Amino acid sequence: MTEKTYIKRYSKIHRLFHIFIVLTFMNQAVTGFSFLFITTDLGEKLSRLLGGYKTTFFLHKVGGVLMISGFLIHILYLLSKIDRRNLKTSIFGPDSLVPNLQDIKNLSQRVLSFFGFGSLPKIDRWAYWEKFGYWGVFWGMPLLGITGVMLMFPLLICSVVPGWTLNVAALLHRAEAILAVSYLFIIHFFFGHFSLSKFPLNEAMFSGRVELEELMEERPAWVERLQKEGKIELLKAKAPNPWYRVLYFIFGYAALACGFYIIIKGIDYSRYIKLH
Amino acid sequence: MKKAFIKKSRTVYFVFGIGLLIGLAVLVMYLPDPGRSQEEVVSPYITRLRERVRTGYQEGYEVKPRMSVGYDLMKGGYYEGNEVRPIKRTRDEFKAPGVLRDLFPVSSTGAEVRIRSHLPDAHAGIKFYQQSTCTECHSRQARSFHTDRAGINCRQCHGAEPIPAIKHYYSPMNPIRRHAYVCATCHEGANDLFAQYIIHEPAPGALTTKESFPVFFYANWFMVLLLLGTMAFFIPHSLMMFLQELAMKKGKTGIDILFPLIPHRFKATLRKRFPKKKAPEK
Ligand code: HEC
Ligand code: HEC
Ligand code: HEC
Repeated sequence: MTEKTYIKRYSKIHRLFHIFIVLTFMNQAVTGFSFLFITTDLGEKLSRLLGGYKTTFFLHKVGGVLMISGFLIHILYLLSKIDRRNLKTSIFGPDSLVPNLQDIKNLSQRVLSFFGFGSLPKIDRWAYWEKFGYWGVFWGMPLLGITGVMLMFPLLICSVVPGWTLNVAALLHRAEAILAVSYLFIIHFFFGHFSLSKFPLNEAMFSGRVELEELMEERPAWVERLQKEGKIELLKAKAPNPWYRVLYFIFGYAALACGFYIIIKGIDYSRYIKLH
Repeated sequence: MKKAFIKKSRTVYFVFGIGLLIGLAVLVMYLPDPGRSQEEVVSPYITRLRERVRTGYQEGYEVKPRMSVGYDLMKGGYYEGNEVRPIKRTRDEFKAPGVLRDLFPVSSTGAEVRIRSHLPDAHAGIKFYQQSTCTECHSRQARSFHTDRAGINCRQCHGAEPIPAIKHYYSPMNPIRRHAYVCATCHEGANDLFAQYIIHEPAPGALTTKESFPVFFYANWFMVLLLLGTMAFFIPHSLMMFLQELAMKKGKTGIDILFPLIPHRFKATLRKRFPKKKAPEK
């Protein structure tokens, strides 16, 4: 059997951030859903499962604080990654997650290709949907964080701002949470895992590496660029350790199952959702 | 080269830092004082207080009812001596910016309803009051966080019979003392700003909310449209991508599998107009 070559796609810190956000987000989603549906049997069951309303609330707050700190650390990480010598390529270049003109081109190529026109876009390191997802989370975090802190300390916050901002904060918090849950558990799952080659679980984010062959199909521009710059040898890696693989398969399936449960139940009970 | 660069960035940081400090100082100067929780307040906005001293205006709820002198319900004013002071002269109470609840009275006899808001017994003379429950008549008020989530009932806030109207001078619900008499019974340390939380929230999507609570209205529609837009774009997009992958695997042209329903002829014309480049065969 010939060995497959793998390319390192995500560094350790990327994967750590991902696992961290998976855990905290799942926590927020489950506890948050138990509040959102507290007037129905679903909410009551979830709440009971997690140890009652007060414990659930506590878990939600702890998860929120962890998430905010994770976000701040992530921002520090981003700042440390900016190369100040060549600011322009480090921010708008193909290795950055900042959307650029190429993404718009890729998007229009992709949409045209759905209707049988033209060829598939050649995607570089980050596809436009990955960028969209990243910035979606990036803008959701401060919104959820700020409104969440407002609802956490309503009395303290109201020593400076009038109370009607709490009405708005609660509305935004709920709406953004619903948006995030539906984006992640429908669209992010779809892009991540719902394709013939990867179907039940896409390992890339856990093992951090992708097969070179697969990558040539999916990210042709990136592979080309790496080859041209001669960096591809540096990124080659071995297959993931089987024990580690077992571990992350268990983790990944659990997370997927949890997400699917939440989204299906959420859609089923969506008529009870009240934004206010 | 490197040194000059570092020097430059240092000055940039320095200027930023100073700017931040000045900004904070200005913010602290112009923020209102923290709200008070134990005492009655005259106006929830400090700036309004200054304004009132200058203009002599009173908030509606700050005017004592002059029942003994004469209180003309139909005309909407109160007597002072022989003079009729129109209630219009008093300001509407605080709300979210631009809130004009009183322009949209709850019942068809609008004028009377508005004036009820100054009565000691809000239900004085209302028929069948004894026989009905609160929510039968006030169905809009039943949908609130406190009622349907926290399970608080109306009387825990509105008190025993007679239920005083909101703006009646001696009512515990009067914004002058609502925080201390109502909210603080459960929320320890509630202050006047906190009491501006709108308990009976309007339906955020409704058009009337655009007048009564615009921030709420726009926040709601912004989020709803964002959600719908994202879903409406990405769900078909990802489905199509999946179908496309299937089609590629089977070696068919995209169009065959994606649009099995397109009449054959239309497909043929499409092909003619946009001929496919053949991939080199191996
Ligand atoms: C028979 C119908 C009816 C019932 C039952 C009823 N109300 Fe009312 N209520 C009215 C009407 C009519 C008004 C005057 C219109 C208005 O201001 O909304 C009013 C006014 C009020 C007001 C003052 C509104 C303001 O603008 O100041 C409050 C507070 C109130 N009701 C609370 C209650 C509570 C609490 C209950 C249950 C104990 C209750 N009502 C039961 C019909 C009813
Ligand atoms: C958490 C306390 C609380 C509870 C519980 C509560 N109310 Fe109120 N209610 C208020 C406050 C505060 C106001 C004044 C709102 C304002 O100024 O906009 C109010 C206002 C009203 C008004 C005047 C119209 C309006 O919407 O401003 C009515 C009518 C009313 N309440 C009825 C009810 C009924 C009926 C219930 C029970 C289903 C109820 N309230 C439960 C706090 C409460
Ligand atoms: C009878 C007790 C009671 C009274 C009186 C009361 N509240 Fe509450 N309030 C609650 C409870 C219970 C909760 C839910 C707390 C939770 O979910 O942890 C709550 C929650 C809240 C929240 C948070 C809402 C959110 O969306 O998270 C606000 C703001 C609030 N109350 C404002 C007020 C104001 C303003 C008043 C005075 C008009 C008031 N409350 C009077 C019991 C009360």
